[in-house]
Amino acid sequence: MDTSFEEKSVWIQLASLVVGLGGYLVVAGLMLSNGVSALPAFVPVFAVAIVLVVGINVAGHVVAAIASRSDEADERDRLIGCRAESRSSWILGVGVVGAIMALTLSVGGIWVAHLLLISLFGSEMAKDVLQIVYYRRGI
Amino acid sequence: MAQSGTSIRNQIRTLRFRHGEMTQQQLADQIGVTRQTVNAIEGGKYSPSLEVAFRIAHVFGQPLEDVFQFVAASG
Repeated sequence: MDTSFEEKSVWIQLASLVVGLGGYLVVAGLMLSNGVSALPAFVPVFAVAIVLVVGINVAGHVVAAIASRSDEADERDRLIGCRAESRSSWILGVGVVGAIMALTLSVGGIWVAHLLLISLFGSEMAKDVLQIVYYRRGI
Repeated sequence: MAQSGTSIRNQIRTLRFRHGEMTQQQLADQIGVTRQTVNAIEGGKYSPSLEVAFRIAHVFGQPLEDVFQFVAASG
């Protein structure tokens, strides 16, 4: 596949999100369904998820830089990034509004925190997928 | 030349070969973009900014309209 360094970077970010945050949400979902609702119980799992996201990103970018020419982002990369962000940021917005509404309805903090996390995860995932689509299909 | 995605056609591939079979990488280095962006422009998947379009024309020593042509949509 003919990919620029910037496109490889998007693939790496997507993989890190799916493995790290996706994995966290699966585990957190199982914990919540088993009645665990104390916030401290989620902290170690979340810490592992963050380490995974950072670790995959660092390792992936090192490998990508060694394996291919690491060109700087050009105007096409910037346009693709801006367009993907402008078309995916609404997901985070919906999550934030939903979290505010949940707080006014006195929903538990653990649920509000996870609603925010899911909306952040969804927004970043959508941005990465849109970027890949724009790289592959054109913009 | 079959191109889809944008209404701008171009003669970059022809011009590269007329200029000593210049590679996409060589052109990319001269105009300050990645090789993949040159490939996307050639394939009609990306319309470059006016500045990059002028840079490409300058590299080939051609007027802009000899490198890029606007194709008006029919109907």
